[in-house]
Amino acid sequence: MFIHQHICISPQHTSGDVDLDVLNPSANGQLTAIEPELTGVPAGLLRRMSKAVRMGIGAGLPILQQNKVDGIIVGTANGGMNDCIKFLNQIIDYDEGMLTPGNFVQSTPNAIAGQLSLITKNQQYNATHVHLGLSFENSLIDAQMHLKEKAEGNYLVGAVDEISSYNYNIDLLAGWYSQNIENQSFYQSKLPATIAGEGAAMFLLNNNAYDALARVKDIETFHASDIETVKARFKIFAEAQNLDSETTIFLTGENGDIRFNPFYHSCEAIINDITVARFKHLSGEYPTAVSFAVWLSVFALQNKKLPGHLFKTENNLSQLNNIIIYNNYHGLQHSFISITSN
Amino acid sequence: MEKEQLKQQVKEQIIKFLNLNNLKPEDINDEEPLFGDGLGLDSIDSIELIVMLSREYGINIQDPKEGRKVLTTVNTMVDYIEQHRTK
Repeated sequence: MFIHQHICISPQHTSGDVDLDVLNPSANGQLTAIEPELTGVPAGLLRRMSKAVRMGIGAGLPILQQNKVDGIIVGTANGGMNDCIKFLNQIIDYDEGMLTPGNFVQSTPNAIAGQLSLITKNQQYNATHVHLGLSFENSLIDAQMHLKEKAEGNYLVGAVDEISSYNYNIDLLAGWYSQNIENQSFYQSKLPATIAGEGAAMFLLNNNAYDALARVKDIETFHASDIETVKARFKIFAEAQNLDSETTIFLTGENGDIRFNPFYHSCEAIINDITVARFKHLSGEYPTAVSFAVWLSVFALQNKKLPGHLFKTENNLSQLNNIIIYNNYHGLQHSFISITSN
Repeated sequence: MEKEQLKQQVKEQIIKFLNLNNLKPEDINDEEPLFGDGLGLDSIDSIELIVMLSREYGINIQDPKEGRKVLTTVNTMVDYIEQHRTK
């Protein structure tokens, strides 16, 4: 499966003129996405859109405007959670009386893929995967299966998640996030917490190797809470990739939370000659953050380099051809993705 | 409440309820049509406005024909609110 186009909206300068050398800082334990100006969206639709929908449209619409696709597949753990909470609060505030449809319509997870379909009048396959920390991976697997059935197909695949104040406060109370951590230094925080992030990344996928930006060579997902299972599965996955230390980066989802460091460190030890890079000081933590990692991988393979602040270990690359991504969400949902230059 | 004060309040509420964040109350003309050529509102907005009248002024519009007349301009809304408000 090959990636032909990609757009990423994130807290960093990833859309439009990409500049990863400048690291935007987090504020109050959050990395909020920089929204681009949306064009081609009717004003009436735009003013009702939640941030999640705006980010999804901002990343997906430019690709759909240039390509005819056989399906739109989006992964999102929470969709427009902010609007969902507004709607639920209305039910309470107005005693289940007169409710308006706007917040409800915009808050459902499938509003993103749905709006992309409606705006572009695309009536093909339209699916939204909502498997929390594996939502994006399952969207990729969905596209992979479609491309096995319909080899000439073209699919828009992506992921979106927003920081909603309600969810953020719950996660803060639950101890997932800390407002005392900054993204510039969170790998050294030694706290059982990280910072929240948000963003959207969209990709045009098909089976055509010609002119492709990169290839999604392999994807593996599983649930596990113990390190031994992760190590065993990663060993098998890594062996199958025939990794070359001079051309490969191991990109991990390490997020500074000391509870999850052992998962990443154990996998690093299995391929200890491979250069290690990290991405969550750019994106923050969110259930579909791995979509940012895939965008970053494609960007790196295109440019054959990454800024120094991404590297955890010494950069021993003579050339960059492969990136292995390992991410886990809350130490329970794990994924390995292998991206190669062709 | 003075009529002019009520107009200002209704305009602020229209902006708030319909997320017309790029508009200020003074941008909305009292006689400008709310739907179609004027503010360019649509059917979903009409539901929002009917709910707004119910929540803010205790006015329940049941008849769609009546709703169409009430929601023509800011002036028609304000006139109706003055006559029918229960809060």
